[in-house]
Amino acid sequence: MGLEVSKPWQQVLDKIRTWARVNSPWAIHFNSGSCNGCDIEILATLTPRYDVERFGIKLQGSPRHADVLICTGPVSLQAKDRLLRIYWQMPEPKFVIAVGSCGLSGGVFHGCYNIVHGIDEVLPVDVFVPGCPPRPEGIIYGVAVLLEALKSGKRPERTMTVEVPAELGVPKVEVSQ
Amino acid sequence: MSSLEEILTSAEKLLHPYALNFNRPEANRLDVYLARENLLPAVKAMVDARWGYLSTITGVDRPASAGEEGQPAEQGEIEVLYSFCAGAAIVTLRVRVPYTDAVLPSICPLIPSATLGERELMEMFGVKVEGTPDTSRLILADSWPEGVYPLRKSFVPAARFSGKAEGG
Amino acid sequence: MTFEQHGENRFIVPIGPQHPALKEPGHFEFVVDGEIVTGASVRLGYVHRGIEKGAEDRTWTQNLYLMERICGICSHIHATAFVQGVEKLAGVEAPPRARAIREIFAELERIHSHMLWLGVAAHEGGFDALFMYSWRDREVVMDMLEMLSGNRVHYSANLIGGVKYDVTPDMMDKIRDGLNYLEERLVHYLDVVNNDETFIGRTRGIGTMTREQAQLLGAVGPTARASNFAYDVRVDAPYAAYTEFPVEMVVAEEGDLHARFVVRILETMESIRVLRRIFDNMPESELVTRVPRRIPAGETISRVEAPRGELFYFISSGGGEKPERVKVRTPSLCNWGTVITLAVGHKLADMPMILAGIDPCFSCNDRLVMVKRNHHDPQLWTWADLRNYGIEYYR
Ligand code: SF4
Repeated sequence: MGLEVSKPWQQVLDKIRTWARVNSPWAIHFNSGSCNGCDIEILATLTPRYDVERFGIKLQGSPRHADVLICTGPVSLQAKDRLLRIYWQMPEPKFVIAVGSCGLSGGVFHGCYNIVHGIDEVLPVDVFVPGCPPRPEGIIYGVAVLLEALKSGKRPERTMTVEVPAELGVPKVEVSQ
Repeated sequence: MSSLEEILTSAEKLLHPYALNFNRPEANRLDVYLARENLLPAVKAMVDARWGYLSTITGVDRPASAGEEGQPAEQGEIEVLYSFCAGAAIVTLRVRVPYTDAVLPSICPLIPSATLGERELMEMFGVKVEGTPDTSRLILADSWPEGVYPLRKSFVPAARFSGKAEGG
Repeated sequence: MTFEQHGENRFIVPIGPQHPALKEPGHFEFVVDGEIVTGASVRLGYVHRGIEKGAEDRTWTQNLYLMERICGICSHIHATAFVQGVEKLAGVEAPPRARAIREIFAELERIHSHMLWLGVAAHEGGFDALFMYSWRDREVVMDMLEMLSGNRVHYSANLIGGVKYDVTPDMMDKIRDGLNYLEERLVHYLDVVNNDETFIGRTRGIGTMTREQAQLLGAVGPTARASNFAYDVRVDAPYAAYTEFPVEMVVAEEGDLHARFVVRILETMESIRVLRRIFDNMPESELVTRVPRRIPAGETISRVEAPRGELFYFISSGGGEKPERVKVRTPSLCNWGTVITLAVGHKLADMPMILAGIDPCFSCNDRLVMVKRNHHDPQLWTWADLRNYGIEYYR
């Protein structure tokens, strides 16, 4: 991001970044029209029984501080722009975990008129966690899979690019540190 | 507390001057058919007598049907149900408005909490509620096209919306 | 929105529409004059999925699963309202044991929902220790539900005409143990809520709603009962097995946030008591009755008491395999209206607690833009910032 350094240094910096990210990923959670089932399970992962914080995962309120977007729900038309906006606000590199069957394909809401049928229609998703809702263990496993992939440097392939529509009114400002 | 029967009878008495018709579909329910002009006075009578509280406003689409034999074809209508509850008793005020003239008076001056229900009615069925305090969108997406009312029977959802298309 | 219309020192503070913790994202706009909120409006629809329309293209049985997924927190009660309506239309009644099992699930769900709320509301007030404790204890209920149904959130216990799972004596014993533990904890929480000074400072006299207001605004459930508006569908129009195993209505006089905490905790204790009574007198019968696949034409209204208040279903059948119209009126919808009114006159710092106080299926926030009237330099605030602002304010 902006910083010009020589190649070997860049590699070292990248290593450090990956190390930091893998050891303490910050996540933001967004409900794009889900039934809350998945959301309460995500919240449950924070509480003493599951306690994801011991893996260094921290749920964060602001997209600007987040590495991972944990998203639930079939993406309602009204929430779609919000979802894009949040994604846009996250600094690179960013990862998306889709939680719950309805975030994968629309699930039980398939065919309803006000949804987009799945987060992967809108954003590139790195990890899918199926289940309606998945157990907290499942969600933690999803995060662990992502971290494993990052550690080994195998970042899941990006299959789509996201354009933020201009009418979202997002000010076109460069994200800088 | 007075019995279910007494509560329902009291409502029947209250609404007698306005009703076209009464019906008792279930032991705890009283359906009252009203003409549109009588909606406000009927609601007022209920409110003044402190009869229960307004539980919900339901819209039901009654599309035009071919009509039974010998009868003329019906015109498409929206039926609006105002359900009042008191204990186990439910009184439903039923008003029908035709598609061509889907206008109802707002009951918000009498019952302020009706506003959410009325806004829903406007969005989902395209019934114009005259005098409701706020007419901005409540439920549908901002990108939803004007004049498409999803709960009318004539609206058939496309099998699948593309994420890229606006509003579908 | 309309900030041009307001005077020099007024700001509009939009909150919404999404929050890391919760559900139903709603978008609020508060007009503030200095520190005091002078107006509020709401925009819903971020989770509008089109379920009522979707219901028209699904068969009765498929709809059962759809209805359950209207809300992940009160899923059983949605399904119960739906099946009861359908059973009424079909002219059948679920066997006594099935009805008792429905009540068991409903009350366990109420316990889990109220404990969840207790934690979240405490969290909004900056009392994270209570949040963690109550969620830890909530896991006990989740275990019970998992033992009964195999799933933690959507139990799918209902069938049209009965229930899917039996509750064996063995399970009852386990649940009894869990309930004993929970009861002890609840006594402790009640003590905290009533005696902790900071907590009282944040809740007493905040967001007070009188009985008249509650009635006029159409408040339902614990929010209404905390304002002494004694109304509970379980008592007034018993369904499932509530005639055989009645519950006592819990009401409070004060109508403030504190009363809403107390009412919910006491209600949870009442649920525990009624569960014990059911276990002691579990009726014997089969679990399902036969129901025809086509439901006779007709209309019915089915009301139940969800953890958040009265849930209203209007179901209309045209005599086919699919319903003609299903209307769902959730309790949160009624309570939204109260927030808009209650907010006025309070400090901005109290908003998170007032919002949480009605236990909305709410989710607010993330980004909250503070717009100054003259200079359009939007300052970004997150919900967390607002929360911290509230916490700091009361420090
Ligand atoms: S996957 Fe199931 S539990 Fe999760 S949000 Fe969707 S409907 Fe609810």
